[in-house]
Amino acid sequence: MYLLKKELKELLTPTTIVILILCVFGLTALGSIMDSEIEESSEDTGKINICDQDKGTFSSAIIDAMKAADYEVNEVELTGDDYVQQLKNLDLTSVVIIPQGFDKQMQDIIASGAGVELKPVNIEMVSRLESLSLTGNLEDGSMMATTAIDSAVKTVVYSKMGVTPEQMAMLEAPVALKETTIVGDKQAEASATMLSAYVMMSSMFVPIVIFLLIIYSSQMIMNAVATEKIDKTLETLLSAPISRLSVLLAKMTAASVVSALYAVAFLIGFKDMMGGMTDTISGAIDSSVVSQLGLDLSMGGYIMLVAQMFLSLLITLAVSLILGALAKDAKSSQTLLLPIMGMVMIPYMISMFTDISALGPFKWVLYAIPYSHTFMAQTNIILNDMPAYFGGLIYQLVLLIICMGCAVKMFTSDKIFTLTLNFGEGKSKYAKARKKFGVKQ
Amino acid sequence: MTDAYPPNEKNVLEVRGLSKQYKKGVYASEKVSFDIRAGEVFALIGPNGAGKTTTIRMIATLLKATEGDALVAGYSILTEPGKVRENITYLPDEAGAYKSMTGMNYLKFMAGIFAPDKQSADEYVKRAVDMCGLGDRLGDKIGSYSRGMIRKLLLSRAVMSHPKLAILDEPTSGLDILNALEIRRMIRDLAATYKMGFLLSSHNMLEIEFVSDRVGIIANGHLLNVGTPAELKAQYGVDNLEQVFERVVKDNEIHVSSEERA
Repeated sequence: MYLLKKELKELLTPTTIVILILCVFGLTALGSIMDSEIEESSEDTGKINICDQDKGTFSSAIIDAMKAADYEVNEVELTGDDYVQQLKNLDLTSVVIIPQGFDKQMQDIIASGAGVELKPVNIEMVSRLESLSLTGNLEDGSMMATTAIDSAVKTVVYSKMGVTPEQMAMLEAPVALKETTIVGDKQAEASATMLSAYVMMSSMFVPIVIFLLIIYSSQMIMNAVATEKIDKTLETLLSAPISRLSVLLAKMTAASVVSALYAVAFLIGFKDMMGGMTDTISGAIDSSVVSQLGLDLSMGGYIMLVAQMFLSLLITLAVSLILGALAKDAKSSQTLLLPIMGMVMIPYMISMFTDISALGPFKWVLYAIPYSHTFMAQTNIILNDMPAYFGGLIYQLVLLIICMGCAVKMFTSDKIFTLTLNFGEGKSKYAKARKKFGVKQ
Repeated sequence: MTDAYPPNEKNVLEVRGLSKQYKKGVYASEKVSFDIRAGEVFALIGPNGAGKTTTIRMIATLLKATEGDALVAGYSILTEPGKVRENITYLPDEAGAYKSMTGMNYLKFMAGIFAPDKQSADEYVKRAVDMCGLGDRLGDKIGSYSRGMIRKLLLSRAVMSHPKLAILDEPTSGLDILNALEIRRMIRDLAATYKMGFLLSSHNMLEIEFVSDRVGIIANGHLLNVGTPAELKAQYGVDNLEQVFERVVKDNEIHVSSEERA
């Protein structure tokens, strides 16, 4: 108990507690800021900036119709073709221009006789690219304006052709697509594209949490063990009347507890942060369809996901413990983190863009990396692919037993004091020179 | 501490043919044998890489001996390492302490590990507080301590439980002359008052001469000579232990590293 308390105190420093709090409240606050920014941005971009250079009957009627439909219409004046300075002066990011001759083009359509070839009516849209962010260039207002103009022109054309409003509606959407999506042994009327987008958006924070958790926990325990070894506090501890196994277990337990706290903090923080964004996108999907298809994680699903995350965490802690014990100094302990970072980064990046299980022979290389199964777990659970889920779980369990066995063997043998990784230090010409002239590092 | 005591109750440590072979034919320590009586201060001296720390680490049950055995308070380091650890304390050379703990919390933590009950733990802490002389600074984080303060804290930790055998590697390294003198006196007092055995390793021959009852000279993994400082000086016909050390090194053509020469 003394050991566990000590390890917890060592790991739960004021800095780590502040990070924990920041994770929960900071990320939630960040989410609120992002939500309000998106909302504000959509309010700004929802405004229609229109330049009526034609000032004819049709253009005026279209603008009046927009105003009547409660759109916020801002009429501006632009001259010539050089819009750079004009948009800057007016502080606008987007303007729809109804050019001179618009009314005449419309009149020509109305006056045209049968068999006359109709030409598209010209309008312009000028936009200023100010940001490369996802939400920075939404120009809803201009899009609404072009849609309204498009619709007005269509009405005139169809009317000229003698098309009734019902026929017009038919021409606008001549094919009625009924989409049915099957998930496992369930089916529902919904778009597979929309559903996969919904699932991806509503759970995209889980891989981020896994990624951060593994990187953080490996660094945490590796530093703890390396520092104990370098400071020789480990020698003091292991010569005390306590078993080596209890020292190892205390370290593992404390690191697991702190990592679990981080996992909870990350989950809450990221869920809140991304909640607003995903709500906007998932609004188009009927939530009952999602439940009907089992695409939302049930309590059992969450438990399965947490179980796989926990196994990954334990593997990370066991491997980090071994690597930390091999560290020669603080610098080398940081270098020793690289293999773990690589093992997390590769499946994380790949799983962001594609399905690992659909990668052909290369998938077996990824399957050998334990963390691949963690990143795939959520999809496997949602799509009810139990053989894939349990296959990954069993593989991780076997790896955990092997890693723990190695950690126990190392802790209970001389190797904990005698083994270090020098990264070829002994073979370098400088090391040989140092050895030759008896220079100590 | 356990009540068990060695069959030969005068000895707190009996080392018998202790060897450590890292690779085939490469011995860090070979067939080392010596005893430490209760209340005796025994010092191991020798050049760097002579096998002092390996021998000490085997006795402290940190490394496993490949041959031979050592009995601490009657318990074998090979078969009863747990019991051995109940009867020793070990202070490594250049050891640190947990920087995020306060000095007081460190003492309480270590007392909690060594003491059989809460009452004893409190007693150990009280002793350590008195011995270390850090006063109010015990409430500060160890990370803010100087090297000397950490050494005093660790030394008091090492002796607070009055173990049958205290193993101290370079006990006064990092301490100024006055503090070093105080520590040497403290070691002598504890040995005399509580019959604690001390196994020291040091490169400070003046310190060894002042504090040790007997000295073992170790080189190339072999224990070459054991005797009181006076016996060794007489044997080599020199005035002090530094000259004894020099003679042993020359007689045995032992390589001394640049650090040792400095």
